[in-house]
Amino acid sequence: MIRAHVTATNTLVAWLALVGLTFFSFGASRVGLGAGAELAVALTISATKTIIVLFIFMHLVEQRFANRLIVIVTFLFIVLLVTLMAADPITRKTFPKAPDPSSRPVD
Amino acid sequence: MSAVELADQFESVEKQEHAARLGMWFFLGSETLLFGGLFALYASYRAMYPFEFHQALLHNDTMLGTVNTLVLITSSFTVALAVHYVRMDRSRLAALLLGLSTAFGVTFLVIKFVEYGDHIRHHVLPAGMYSMADSPPGGVVMGQTLYWFMTALHALHVVAGMILLGIAAVGCARRRYGRSRFIVVENSGLYWHLVDIVWIFLWPLFYLAK
Repeated sequence: MIRAHVTATNTLVAWLALVGLTFFSFGASRVGLGAGAELAVALTISATKTIIVLFIFMHLVEQRFANRLIVIVTFLFIVLLVTLMAADPITRKTFPKAPDPSSRPVD
Repeated sequence: MSAVELADQFESVEKQEHAARLGMWFFLGSETLLFGGLFALYASYRAMYPFEFHQALLHNDTMLGTVNTLVLITSSFTVALAVHYVRMDRSRLAALLLGLSTAFGVTFLVIKFVEYGDHIRHHVLPAGMYSMADSPPGGVVMGQTLYWFMTALHALHVVAGMILLGIAAVGCARRRYGRSRFIVVENSGLYWHLVDIVWIFLWPLFYLAK
């Protein structure tokens, strides 16, 4: 059996950190950093919150590397997928970024 | 509480539980990739239609979304505590905490459906049903469609998670689970935490970044 490393106190501290980060994320979205920066800050905070949930709430900190490897591979696949799909419209030079709205079929 | 039954193919209970835990992590990985495809669509269409996405997300109530974030985070906390206490052999307390977490799940869904009701009243609907403006640009329709699809898929996961937590709560209340038998409670908890993680990303994408 695995030994318990995550205590009730760790769990409480993790919850307080998650609530704090939620308010921080909300506040950061209200100071007017600009659309791109706001999104980057919000997603960075979300990634931090995810790490806390994974390691403390989901007890990844006390589990074998095989379980952590699944998380790492899943994360890398999603980063690859999201980055490449967003890179396509952002880097288009020869075609319009989006179809012309006037060419949309009439309902 | 009965002891764990060892299946023929395993040498020890420890290996059997590691296999159950590893299997759950694989399942969570595949679930994450399902949402990952939708997040990739969001990234691509948002890059194509930045202004239209901004318009589409203006209808979302940031306050309700934030309250729901706090509700889910707190439910994850009570689930984590339940797993902690079942491992300490305090099954009744774990049952209580799992019941509380299920109630948080109900709260989340009620708030979400209040929001959906408001969207329906204002004709902010997915796909061709959208009729907020006379002729909304394609990007706005895309933004609202992704909002509905991703949040509704997440809500379905909340329902599934509540069923799992309910089953685990009943098992704990009947003292079927305890110090030497808690993998069902732990795996149900892992599923609920994944539901929380997905919302941790849906919240900034649909409520804050507008």
